Amino acid sequence: MSQKGTIESLTGKNSQKKKSRIPAKMDFLQSATGAILALFITFHLLFESSILLGKESMYHLTKFFEGEFLIEGGSPLFIVFLALGISVVFILHALLAMRKFPSSYREYQRFRTHAKLMGHQDTNLWFIQISSGFMLFFLGSIHLFTMMTQAQNIGPFASSDRIYSDMAWPMYLMLLVSVVLHAGVGVYRLIVKWGWFDGSDPRASRRRHQKIIKGAVLFYLLIGLFSLATYIKIGYEHQADYGERYHLKGEVTHAD
Amino acid sequence: MQIKYADALIIGGGLAGLRSAIATGAKGLDTIVLSLVPVKRSHSAAAQGGMQASLANSIMGEGDNEDVHFSDTVKGSDWGCDQEVARMFVTTAPKAIRELAAWGVPWSRVQKGDREVVINTKQTTITEKEEAHGLINARDFGGTKKWRTCYTADATGHTMLYAVANEAMRLGVKIEDKKEAISLIMQEDQCVGAIVRDLKDGTLCAYVAKGTMIATGGYGRIYKQSTNATICKGTGHAIAIEAGAYMGNMEAVQFHPTPIVPSGILLTEGCRGDGGVLRDKDGYRFMPDYEPEKKDLASRDVVSRRMLEHIKKGKGVPSPYGDHLWLDISILGREHVEKNLRDVRDISMTFNGIDPADPAEKGWMPVLPMQHYSMGGIRVTPEGHSVNIKGLFSCGEAACWDLHGFNRLGGNSVSETVVSGMIIGNYFADYCNTTEITISTAAVHQELDKQQRYLESLLELEGEENIYNIKDEMRRIMQEKVGIFRNGKDLEDAVSELKALLQKTKQIRITKKESHLNQELEEAYKVPMMLKVALCVAKGARDRTESRGAHYREDYLKRDDANWLNRTLSYWAAADDLEPTLKYEPLDIMKMEMPPAFRGYGKKGNTIENPLSQVRQEEVDSIVASHQGDRFTLQEKLMPFKLQPEYKRQNERIGEDNNG
Amino acid sequence: MGREITIKVLKYNPTDSQSTPTFVEYTLEETPGMTLYIALTKIKSSIDHDLTSDFVCRAGICGACGMLVNGKPQLACRTLTSDFEGGKIELLPLPTFKLIKDLSVDTGAWMEKMSLRVHSWIEKHEETDLAKLEKRVEPAVADEVFELDRCIECGICVASCSTAIMREDFVGAVGLNRVARFSIDPHDTRTDEDFYELIGDDDGIFGCMSLMACEDHCPKNLSLQSKIAYMRRKLVMS
Repeated sequence: MSQKGTIESLTGKNSQKKKSRIPAKMDFLQSATGAILALFITFHLLFESSILLGKESMYHLTKFFEGEFLIEGGSPLFIVFLALGISVVFILHALLAMRKFPSSYREYQRFRTHAKLMGHQDTNLWFIQISSGFMLFFLGSIHLFTMMTQAQNIGPFASSDRIYSDMAWPMYLMLLVSVVLHAGVGVYRLIVKWGWFDGSDPRASRRRHQKIIKGAVLFYLLIGLFSLATYIKIGYEHQADYGERYHLKGEVTHAD
Repeated sequence: MQIKYADALIIGGGLAGLRSAIATGAKGLDTIVLSLVPVKRSHSAAAQGGMQASLANSIMGEGDNEDVHFSDTVKGSDWGCDQEVARMFVTTAPKAIRELAAWGVPWSRVQKGDREVVINTKQTTITEKEEAHGLINARDFGGTKKWRTCYTADATGHTMLYAVANEAMRLGVKIEDKKEAISLIMQEDQCVGAIVRDLKDGTLCAYVAKGTMIATGGYGRIYKQSTNATICKGTGHAIAIEAGAYMGNMEAVQFHPTPIVPSGILLTEGCRGDGGVLRDKDGYRFMPDYEPEKKDLASRDVVSRRMLEHIKKGKGVPSPYGDHLWLDISILGREHVEKNLRDVRDISMTFNGIDPADPAEKGWMPVLPMQHYSMGGIRVTPEGHSVNIKGLFSCGEAACWDLHGFNRLGGNSVSETVVSGMIIGNYFADYCNTTEITISTAAVHQELDKQQRYLESLLELEGEENIYNIKDEMRRIMQEKVGIFRNGKDLEDAVSELKALLQKTKQIRITKKESHLNQELEEAYKVPMMLKVALCVAKGARDRTESRGAHYREDYLKRDDANWLNRTLSYWAAADDLEPTLKYEPLDIMKMEMPPAFRGYGKKGNTIENPLSQVRQEEVDSIVASHQGDRFTLQEKLMPFKLQPEYKRQNERIGEDNNG
Repeated sequence: MGREITIKVLKYNPTDSQSTPTFVEYTLEETPGMTLYIALTKIKSSIDHDLTSDFVCRAGICGACGMLVNGKPQLACRTLTSDFEGGKIELLPLPTFKLIKDLSVDTGAWMEKMSLRVHSWIEKHEETDLAKLEKRVEPAVADEVFELDRCIECGICVASCSTAIMREDFVGAVGLNRVARFSIDPHDTRTDEDFYELIGDDDGIFGCMSLMACEDHCPKNLSLQSKIAYMRRKLVMS
């Protein structure tokens, strides 16, 4: 154990009698990792819903992320690295956010009773945030793990088979709801927490932010659900050919 | 039972008590402040409008100085004040406000250039000087020649209290809240501390101190309708009365013209100071008819009486709570109301559903004069020492230092709290520093036991009476018979009815027999105390057969300088008496810097002159005529006064050289 | 005749071994303009002499009478009974603070601890000469300080706060606002580093989760959100 650490943990100060800077860093990092993940999710969901525009669009997009513009045919390794990167941020965020969770039954009970009595919107939103966050510990981990171990299985048919035939859809449904709610509330909280876009009337701005976020959450839930439904539909139709990979129509026609 | 020791014991944690504690703390004395409530909840916080100090920064305050402030204060008091005290006060007030600024009171500051104000209901543009930019601003208030009232919107008392409480905390003053002093510990004629009840657990503790100060504010709650907080019950006065201390001018009770109806919450004088006006049921602005010069801004006693006079003429607005009048600040414009009179607007909207910034009738607020301030109190010397009990000091509203005489000017009370806290606080500190006391613990325990037995005896009472009813009855009597308009018959009745009530307090029954956290028990020991205070007020009023300042006798309409230029002293001659004994302390006209004359508002020619007034006036005139030198040396010739050298220094002002 | 209203109060005296926490219901006639101050005073003087609550200024200025009114933390003296359509009002003591009895809680001790922690006073280096002109302050700056100085320490922000309810040592919006107040006061010489020493931890500025119940319940409508955000930005950077 370093002397520095010992001094700080026992006295709350460092050897210059100053407070640790760690809490500031943790607070900043919690927000920063959250922002990165939220940003990632907004694009992830958009890309993933490319299925709504047709299998072909989704296929192109997948290939793009597999780095087809760099290497011929692309490689799932790009996805693995991306998933790995996101996992690191994800775990860090979870670690930092956990500090805020109720840590005993008594704390949980006090919080819940109080929130129920007050009926205060933002406080209730936080309950959604910790519940969805808790879900994400598991659901997010499963998803990320899948992406790292089976990065090659992304595509209009491969994904649909996983979702339908491998019975992953209940997990994806819960993941979708959790992640959209968590990110939505989280982004709203970030804006409030750091006073971004306060404008001349912070109260009015806050009401405006609430509306925008509500709209965004609704939008992402909708496109997410429709996409999931589409994957399920494709998976259902494709169950007989489970495991077959998707090829561009042009390629197929050409080969014929 | 416990005994605690301190150098200085201060009872009351409002502005006056805390500022005194800072004085004793700064001189290294072990100081304890006792307060009924967390000190930042003290009634000082409710002072809205502002604090008078002759800084003369604003253009409308140009030419203001100690002399003008002095003259306004003496006239306001209807010549009832101690003029030497008034001089001490006006000389220190500018220093007090600058000290408060340094402690963080965010005084409203002068913005150079043009600004719009409402004067006499007309929008007027005034231009503030470049050199005044950033200095402390002031607004207009009743009974003053210049704009002298410094303010932080309409939460002045609040910001002052927080600044002073914060400073006391910085100095490490010991503040104990939820503690109530229920009696003083006396050793012969000397006060050596107090018996204190912990309101959280009901235990008694003796606080032994070299000096004890009472700074418990006013006694407004003896009236049914009062702007005072629920804690302003006068129990600080009562413990002094029970120890034999003299009370001064207890009958001098101020009624504020504009509390809101029916809740009785004060709407600051700043409303009228900033240009608001009073209107009757026809929407007519009536004050200029009665007071052509000062109009709505005559002194409070005058405005309150004129309002009731006008209502008696049938011009009041009928309501379920009786007739009232309107206060109109809508003419100041929404922006001004929302910024500078925000709390007023908040109170009006919350309690009456009226937005006073709404145009015309829609924004008018119902008002009626109600009890507001206690000019009377524990009679003290200019050093703040009780005139007849050694070791007992008092300052702020609790004291009759006698800055206010028979009527206090708006803005002079919060000012007095801190100024007297500085001056008296320092004399008090000097006293505690130079005094040693010897007291046996047996004597202390004796007093403790006595109080313990008394409380137990209250719990044992098995009478028919309900203490709450007795209190309500007292408050009704005071309201109806010792109010704004007084007469001999009502006052006579009031005294005898109050005496009967005092006897009834021994025939009560307390529902719960617990000694702690029992608010009914608290009422049971407080109400007899309040009745003693009420009796001092009623009897003093009964015997004072003249009208002076706020004391207005329908059967003696004139100010009687020939017979009544004196101060009433009331005291309990024997513990079992049912009423106070009165005696009088004359005011010496021949020592006055400003001999009695017309106030400049109120009815003219309404004075029974004292021949000495004329004599002294001529003397003053000749001194002024023959004087060579600045105004300070002239003042010294007219009426020398004692003050700590530090506070007596000349106050710097812009545009005034050191020669005045 | 006014309508009949029912006021239900949680009564409990923790110092009395005989006392058990119970809800007690009082029925009384509503009068025009009745506030909870008037209603509780009436109950105390005519129905239950033993009921305990704290009122001082009864005008929303002193901050003594915070309580949960149908679950919402607010000042009882500013609450009109007519605001409750069904005429049913449930009163609970403010959470987070130490319960004294019934509706009376010890906000004083809490606020004292907070004030000592954030050094709630002007820190300055030089003495002020009281006979000289006061230090000049830009009028807009004075107004801004005043805005933050309007806090009345009623404790409603603390009683609204989920962090405070879970973490005993959290300094609360009242404490963070106080620091912001001194940080913009030109009389105070402290730097951001100094303020970091006071509130730069998870019981201070970094404990706040921005749930905004403080701002939404503040009876003085203080702009707590933007001030806490302001302090957070400053202290993260410092």
